[in-house]
Amino acid sequence: MSYYDIDSILTDAEKIPCTFQLDVPDLGYLDNTPTQTLKTGSRVALPLWLAEMLAIASSSGGLDEQGKSFVTFDLPPALGNDVVQALKADPRAVPLRDQSAHFYGLATHMMDLSEEQELATVLRKTYVTRATEIALHARKVGGVGHHGKSSADEGSNLGVGGAGEEFLRGLDERERRLFRKAHDGAKAGKEWMENVKKH
Amino acid sequence: MALPMPPGLTHAEVAFLAEMEMVTIVPRQRLESIDLLSGQTPPLRPPHRAQLPLWLALLLKKQRRANIVPPPWLHPASLSEIIHRETKENPQTFSPPPPPPAHANPHDPGHARRLADADADTILSPPFQPSCTASAPAGYLPYHWLEVAEALLAHAGDDMAAPAGEVRSLLRDLVEVRAAKMRSSTSVLGGAENGLMELTGVGAIELAESRGFVLGVVDGVRKIGASAEAARREDEEQGSGIHDDGGSDDDMGI
Repeated sequence: MSYYDIDSILTDAEKIPCTFQLDVPDLGYLDNTPTQTLKTGSRVALPLWLAEMLAIASSSGGLDEQGKSFVTFDLPPALGNDVVQALKADPRAVPLRDQSAHFYGLATHMMDLSEEQELATVLRKTYVTRATEIALHARKVGGVGHHGKSSADEGSNLGVGGAGEEFLRGLDERERRLFRKAHDGAKAGKEWMENVKKH
Repeated sequence: MALPMPPGLTHAEVAFLAEMEMVTIVPRQRLESIDLLSGQTPPLRPPHRAQLPLWLALLLKKQRRANIVPPPWLHPASLSEIIHRETKENPQTFSPPPPPPAHANPHDPGHARRLADADADTILSPPFQPSCTASAPAGYLPYHWLEVAEALLAHAGDDMAAPAGEVRSLLRDLVEVRAAKMRSSTSVLGGAENGLMELTGVGAIELAESRGFVLGVVDGVRKIGASAEAARREDEEQGSGIHDDGGSDDDMGI
């Protein structure tokens, strides 16, 4: 991910649970015990950029014999097992924004750090399924294309309105941008068709 | 200079390019041949039909000096057949584009051969194929179908084979069906390692409309698979055998 990319920066600010592997004096305030050392094995939520640096950098300064890392981290709750199972069942019903506003970015970064084969396949399927749904809503939201038979759509605009808004509220950042592009395309098409007469 | 527009052509630009398509007209007045950059227009001697570029045909129509003959695929019967084909026979792919022009082969009766094989100068890309003239085959949608159809309906609605309203409603149905297909065509990327989207037969306006969306989906899938891809390439570089299928796109040569 690039250094100056805003999404990258925001994604890296997400917190993930970490376990300290050694005692650190004076950092006790992280664990609600100020003025005491932070014991080995205490779990603290650290931002991703910090956790990554601490986990990958080994303490090669000579203090530890084997050079083990300062912290080990687990997957954040946004990528927990119940979320993955829900995504496997029906990707369109899971409001990703409630898990994390940068769901895909977070997942991609975690996959960079640790091998997650199942997560990769589930995520790819999720993204593509939700993308089709996004395109459908993009076309409907602008009021585009309700002339004539809508053989492929589920019904009138009004019927889909409630469920549609739920879905749109649950989109994460990447999906929102995709929605924007789809909607712009549909809107441009509609405008062009209405203006054909004027050329 | 960085333009704020997304990459690709806008609808207006596509429509402008579509005006290069040749159409058949029935002139109402004599007109001498005009020297254009792409060649000379045929001299117009009513009531003989002639082929002119769409922009010139529309101009003459507005001046009431010609009538435009609608291409055969714009007939309601043809449009209904195409709609039937899109919905019932080929629900996954778009209906095929018109075949390139062919000539009968006098030395081999019963077999036609394509113009392109005989004459290397024949151009086969869309605005230069005669797919909107009166001799175009019915039942196939050419690349610029929507732009040409809309332009003809707007400016030459009285020349249509059927009432403009009927043709227009059929066109709208066709637009909806194909838009739905375009949306669902990206779903093939979710499964296998290397999914291919089948887009043969797509029209120019449809491409302009869904370019942003399709590119966004493809880019998103790429990003999600980026770490797995990097790991795979590393493994290959080290020469260790991998169980991954790989496919044919790993020949970038590391």
